[in-house]
This record gives sequence, C-alpha cells and structure tokens, in this order.
Amino acid sequence: MLARLQDVLAPPLPARVRERLREDAHVNSAGFDLWGLNIETAEQVLAASRWLYELYFRVEVRGAHHVPPGPCMLVPNHGGQLPFDGFLVAMAAVLEVDPPRVVRGMVERWFPSLPFISTLFTRCGQVVGDPHNCIALLERGQSILVFPEGVGGSGKTYWKRYTLQRFGTGFVRIALQTRCPIVPVALVGTEEIYPSIAKLDRLARVLGVPYVPVTPFFPALGLLGALPLPVKVDIQFGEPFLFEGDPDAPEGEVAAMVDVVKQRIQSMLDAGIARRPDLRWLNRLPGGRRLPLQLPGGAGRGGS
Amino acid sequence: MTVLVTGVSGQLAHLVCEMLRDRHELVGADVRPLPAGRSFPGEFHCVRYTQRRMAEVFRRHRPRALVHLGRLRGSEVSSTSFRFTQNVLGTRNLIDLCIRYGVKRFVVLGTFHVYGAHQHNHVGIREDAPLRASLTFPQIADAVELDHAVTGALWRHRELETVLLRPCHIVGPSLNNLTSRLFRLRAVPTLLGYDPMLQFVHERDCARAICLALHGDRVGVYNVAGEGAVPYTYAIRLAGGRPVPVPHFLAYPVVGSLSRWRLLFPKHLMDYFRYPTVVDDSLFRADFGYAPQFTIVETLASVGRQQVRRKEPA
Repeated sequence: MLARLQDVLAPPLPARVRERLREDAHVNSAGFDLWGLNIETAEQVLAASRWLYELYFRVEVRGAHHVPPGPCMLVPNHGGQLPFDGFLVAMAAVLEVDPPRVVRGMVERWFPSLPFISTLFTRCGQVVGDPHNCIALLERGQSILVFPEGVGGSGKTYWKRYTLQRFGTGFVRIALQTRCPIVPVALVGTEEIYPSIAKLDRLARVLGVPYVPVTPFFPALGLLGALPLPVKVDIQFGEPFLFEGDPDAPEGEVAAMVDVVKQRIQSMLDAGIARRPDLRWLNRLPGGRRLPLQLPGGAGRGGS
Repeated sequence: MTVLVTGVSGQLAHLVCEMLRDRHELVGADVRPLPAGRSFPGEFHCVRYTQRRMAEVFRRHRPRALVHLGRLRGSEVSSTSFRFTQNVLGTRNLIDLCIRYGVKRFVVLGTFHVYGAHQHNHVGIREDAPLRASLTFPQIADAVELDHAVTGALWRHRELETVLLRPCHIVGPSLNNLTSRLFRLRAVPTLLGYDPMLQFVHERDCARAICLALHGDRVGVYNVAGEGAVPYTYAIRLAGGRPVPVPHFLAYPVVGSLSRWRLLFPKHLMDYFRYPTVVDDSLFRADFGYAPQFTIVETLASVGRQQVRRKEPA
C-alpha cells in the first residue's frame, strides 16, 4: 500500500534520464561539482517532489522541443513570491526536455545566508546569480535558468501579475559572450500561487529579506496560509534566440535585444493566459494583464 | 643551487625540503627551533625574519632562491600585532634582502583566506578577484598585507622572479595545522544549516606544487587546489569524524569570547565554514603542469582519525 502510494506520489526518475544526468555532471571522485551539485541528492529531491509537479500543480508543457541539446539559457517570467516557478521549470527540464538536464538556476545573492534551504538548493545545482558563475557553467556545457526580472518579478503584487517587470541586461551580454541560445519561457499559473496584495517593506528591512508579501491567507492564517495555492501551471518553451554581436556593445544595443526577448515572453504569456478558460475570471479583478479577446495572428482563446 | 627555505620547523616545509634535498643545497630558517628529533639537511638558523641577523644568513650563503613558507598562520596562538610584524614586516625585509643579495627566484606560500568567506562569493575565484578578507576579518589583515607586499614585489622588482601561491586548505597525515586538527576530531562542529563547499589539497601535493613553482620559469600569483570540492559535512565523514551541528547564533558569541583568550577556534575563521570560498587553480595547472596526485577522497581519508600520528624518525 505504502509502496503503491510512493509509486503514485514519487515515482523514481526513468533510468534513461538518470543516466543522462550523470553523464552531464562534471563531478569529482566524491560526486560533487565545484558549485556543490550532487546528482544523487538532486535526483532524490526531484523524485520526492514529483507529485508537486504532476499532481499538485498539474504542469502542462508545450514546446519542449525548442530547447536546444547543448548549453542554453532558459528565461521565464518571474512571480509568485517563492521560487516555485524555478522548481517547476527545473522539473520540466528533467522530465520533458530532450536531452534531460539539471538546469542551474541563478539565485539571489542574499540566498546563501539562509540556512538549510541554501544547502539543499546548492546540492540540487542552484548557484548564486553571479556572471562569473553563469559563464563558467555555460562553458562546462550546463544549462542556465535565469529570471531577468529578479526580486522585482518574484515579489510583484497580484495587480501586476503576468506583466513583465524591468529586465536586467546582463543575461544577454553573457549570451553574446558565450554564444549560447536564449530560450524564452512563459509560465502561466505560477504568478497566482501566492496572490500578494501588499508588501510589508519595513518588516522586510528588519528581517533582511527582499520582501514580505501579504496574501488573503498569509499571515492571517499563519503557516496554513503559507501553503501554495494549487494552481494549474502551463509551461511554454519558445523558439530560441541566438544573438550575434559584441558583448561589450553599448547598453542601448543590448537593451534592444533584451526587449526582443521580453516582448516574446510577454506575447507567449498573453497567448498562454488566453488558452486558459479557467483563468478568465481574472479579467474581472482589478489590475493585472488584460486578456485580449482575440489575439493578433489568429491565436484564439483555447477551450472555448 | 643554494635554496633558502623559511619556516622549516613546520611540517610542510619539512616535506618540501625532503623533495629538494637531492637537487639543491638547502639553508633553513625559522623563528621556532627545529622540533625535537628532527634534523635539517643543511645549515639551520633560528632567526626572526625582521632581525638584522637575517641579512647575515643571506650574506653567508648567497642563496639563489628563497622559498618563504614561514608565514605565521592566523589560527596560531599569537596576537594579531605579532603576526603582522612577523608576516608583513618580515616578508618585506626578506624581499629587500632578496634584491640586495641577488636572489633570482622567490616563492611565497600565501593563503586562499585572502579572498574572504562571503555569501556573495562566486565559485571558481581567479587570482585577480578582489581580496575581501580584510573587509570582514581584520584579524587576518596580516595575510592580506603579506599578499600585497609580494604582489607589489612582482611589478616593483622585475629582476626577482616572484611566485605567490594561494593554496586552499592544506591537510595531511603529518600536518598539525588547524584544518588537519579539526578533521581529526571525533565530533567536528559545524554550523547548523550551513554546509559550504570546501577544497583540500594534500600536503604532498602542496609540497610538490611549491617545488614546481621553484623550478618553473613563470612568475605571478597562483591558486593551488586539489581535486574539486566537497561539502563540509561530507568532508568530515570522509575523514572518519561525525558532524555536530551548532546553531550559528550560539556558536559565534561562544567561540568569539573563547577566541579572545585564544582558546578553541579563531572566530574570524568560522565564516570559512559557513560560506564557500572556492578557488580556480586552472592557471597554475596550465603554467606549471601541476596536477594533484591525491583525489579529494584520498586526501581526506589520509587526515582522519584512523591515521596514527607518526613521530618523525630521529
């Protein structure tokens, strides 16, 4: 009975996937790479949390074939207070993308000061979002997961959902330097996992964290309110961009390339939301991204 | 050629001298006397590097090369100001003497501690990275200043071929430094919830690296590391110990007040067991053909408790 439950909730990763993950990791005799990734731990964590991906958030992936086989940079929209979005993309990169890979997420710089979680994240391949780390990992053939919105994205309030915030330009410069493709990713659903209605800035400063959100359930319901809402999540991978040019180009030129990526993600997001009839009630709430009734290019609302 | 080696009372210098004794004429110097029962293959001088007597050693032996391994470590029982005098002023004096007495090659053993342990550290720190240590740990400002003195000599005195090595944690069965002692404990304290990646170089690999630096022709600053990195708790288990987690909000004040009396553990080194300081030694490998011969598993197993500390043969 317990074994059956385990099979449903946390089935082990397919042998083909596990083999491939081992091949790609550059680990030493002790099984660790310089950043602290340990494939065995990463696999255990992924397998143990597979139910979150498959049953809780019921993730649906489109366009996984767009992810190129070599090293690349996955660039999704950011939102939802806690990095569930990063986790779900990482999971998709293992289960749906061919060849499967452990993507190396670029996390906030204050993150290593968090005990326990920072250690767990490190074992699963997440690294501090520093350009040196990013370049070194790409040169070792690893794929990167980067959220150019940063905390401005993950901490956004509900009124700004699915509206891309300011993008940093560093990721395009690194892509130019390492000649690595950028895969735009649109995540629909993740920005509602924690619908933040306000931010407690002063408390955040005292606690030394980037933001403290207030949701209809948190902190009113205490820890119970901190549970993520079981939103259905769609992940759409777009066609990769391969930019050419001087990595030291003036900021304006690079910003133009960033805008191209941003526009693509935004339009993928709009199309993604339009495909989701279950989210149409959102239109009645103030703020947020308005769903176009008919998308340009004839991409209509799905499910109707 | 005649090679002057400092710090020869230490175990690492002993290993280096064993490797060099057949090829070179050795002269040893140290502020400490030789440990009981150890003989030095050459003439030995017990002298402080700041003393005038140091010049006499240069005058008498006219060394062609100086291998400076005599840095007092930040973990040793010594006051900050004493370490500063010995390490910074002593090293500056040695550089002056090298210039005055026509020493050709100058190899210095620094430390990776100069990069500092910081949560913002990226992985694979190269030699040109900023030295953050003096910012957070003024107690090891002497190590940073020593580093600066030597890098200063690199461009100020081009005729002196200077190599500065910044090795990661050096451990081994015969070493008696802080890290090796730590990993010989039955129960090794860790900071609860933190498990940074650490790099280790085996004492023999490090000694070999020093010899390579002496015999090579490149000059510059080089990181030296072993095979990759492992998390702290994993390293403890490899060495045969058991990690004992202590909450950091307890550990820092307790260790801080004890280290004021120079007991237990220097507080300023605790951050190195909280945040990773992982260096990139690919430049040294490329320029000097260095490759560690011990894997990280072998390195840590060799330090461990099961290893009986051998007394040096008389």
